[in-house]
Amino acid sequence: MKFQVEREVLAEAVSWTARSLSPRPPVPVLSGLLLKAAAGTLSLASFDYEISARLEIPADVSEEGTILVSGRLLADICRSLPSAPVDVETDGSKVTLSCRNSRFNLATMPENDYPELPALPQVSGVVSGEAFAQAVSQVIIASSKDDTLPILTGVKMEIEGDLITLLATDRYRLALREVHWRPNVPGISTSALVKAKTLNEVARTLGGAGDLNIALSDNSELIGFESGGRRTTSLLVDGDYPKIRSLFPDNTPIHATVETSALSEAVRRVSLVAERNTPVRLAFTDGQLSLDAGTGEDAQASEVLETALVGEDITVAFNPHYLSEGLNAFDSKFVRFSFTSAPKPAMITAQDDIDGEDRDDYRYLVMPVRLPNP
Amino acid sequence: MRLIIAKCSVDYVGRLKAHLPLAVRLLLVKADGSVLVHSDGGSYKPLNWMSPPATVRTTTPAETELEEGVQEQWIVQSSKTDDRLIINIHEQLHESHHDLGVDPGLIKDGVEADLQRLLAEQIHTLGDGYTLIRREYFTAIGPVDILARDPHGATVAIELKRRGVIDGVEQLTRYLALLNRDPLLAPVRGVFAAQQIKPQARVLALDRGIECLTLDYDAMRGADDSSTRLF
Repeated sequence: MKFQVEREVLAEAVSWTARSLSPRPPVPVLSGLLLKAAAGTLSLASFDYEISARLEIPADVSEEGTILVSGRLLADICRSLPSAPVDVETDGSKVTLSCRNSRFNLATMPENDYPELPALPQVSGVVSGEAFAQAVSQVIIASSKDDTLPILTGVKMEIEGDLITLLATDRYRLALREVHWRPNVPGISTSALVKAKTLNEVARTLGGAGDLNIALSDNSELIGFESGGRRTTSLLVDGDYPKIRSLFPDNTPIHATVETSALSEAVRRVSLVAERNTPVRLAFTDGQLSLDAGTGEDAQASEVLETALVGEDITVAFNPHYLSEGLNAFDSKFVRFSFTSAPKPAMITAQDDIDGEDRDDYRYLVMPVRLPNP
Repeated sequence: MRLIIAKCSVDYVGRLKAHLPLAVRLLLVKADGSVLVHSDGGSYKPLNWMSPPATVRTTTPAETELEEGVQEQWIVQSSKTDDRLIINIHEQLHESHHDLGVDPGLIKDGVEADLQRLLAEQIHTLGDGYTLIRREYFTAIGPVDILARDPHGATVAIELKRRGVIDGVEQLTRYLALLNRDPLLAPVRGVFAAQQIKPQARVLALDRGIECLTLDYDAMRGADDSSTRLF
């Protein structure tokens, strides 16, 4: 095998494919990247039995062939090469990589031992990469990082016709985001549970190249994503996702609108004195929201903001981390808090004008911290 | 239990030598014959000690030691070896005796046995339709923590650990190899269940076709407060 390709193109391709390599490969060949040179294109692939990644880049191929080399090492080398064309040539069981005056000899692994990558299922529809990436980043914060409930480490994708609903929860908060797409099959109705980490990678690395194809397999074991020549597949998380949509309150007699950035900043400041496991309190009264955190003699902080309150005065306390993460996910000028009563979950939604209506395409539900009776 | 606070220097003589210079320390003489020398710090560990069985002899110090200010010398002699702990007491500040009686022993919460009992009682933690065959299923190389039956009637061997490390996976692998030779049980599948599973152990387990299950001890014993959560 022999080919030449520009360093920038190669480095980007290698680092993207190497991303999905397992940090602890159970089989040595899985630490490798499979490089296939054929008729003007170089294809790169990685696989860890769960996630596969593939992409093709144009290359000046003078001799076709396939090799398997250590992915981490190749990624490190490509990243540090000078900006010049890179020549790659096999020499027996070795591969030589040369770029300007640098030369690297790498050992290759037997490519025959490499498992076959799962095929990308048939494309089910197209979503705007940017919109999808934003949606994913908004729900991912609520997903669980705790292995005791593996199901909650996933993000649920519910697909009904031209609407994808993303749901994530760690049982303390819940995020729901709706995003429109163009399904190939009208009236499609299906769902998939994808690991939050995987979906995050997809959003970050495939969301920037325009349209994103989503491919769902018929046996609902696999999901595939494709954008800008990059293809990735992942096994789905097995199990029944809890029915969490009903957790959103039906009736919220109290709601308050606050400027997002001002509140987000205030929460960040006030929670500096909130020690581990202590909440930040939000007291909404007519026209005024006062935040405070900290107790007793140690340290206390408070801040006052403007708010538009409808309904009775209410004081609620939140885990500052859950509150800030939620607020940071909003890019609207205002956010609306909807309450049933102080100990019940509070819903946060986006709002464009202080006295307008809220949007319901993104909803963040958070469980307040119970306050001791005053 | 005899408690003494004294200004003393301590020497250990025998298989190894150690010296503690003159300072105020707490000396504990326990009913089993052991003697422990504590400083006001260093947590639960004594600075030096003699394990039981041992005998304590009080002697009059030699001429030279008297001149140095030693009022009393203790020789704690180990009954099993030639090791001795020599305590030179310069000034005794406090002494008291207490009869503590028989100690009921330490009861640890959240040990493997608790996990085993709880998981056996809540075998559905493994999934719907699982049934318990028995706890401590005996094999020639030791007992398997839990043997269960999955919804399809296949046998499942469960190894329980508080911390799941590679050793536990090895142990389960040995049991599985043995159990799979039993025509009445085979095929036997393995589940490695722990409160915390180390990444290396997880890789090894999955590579050997063993399922990993992280257990939430608080939730299992019902100490979980769901009112602070959404559900």
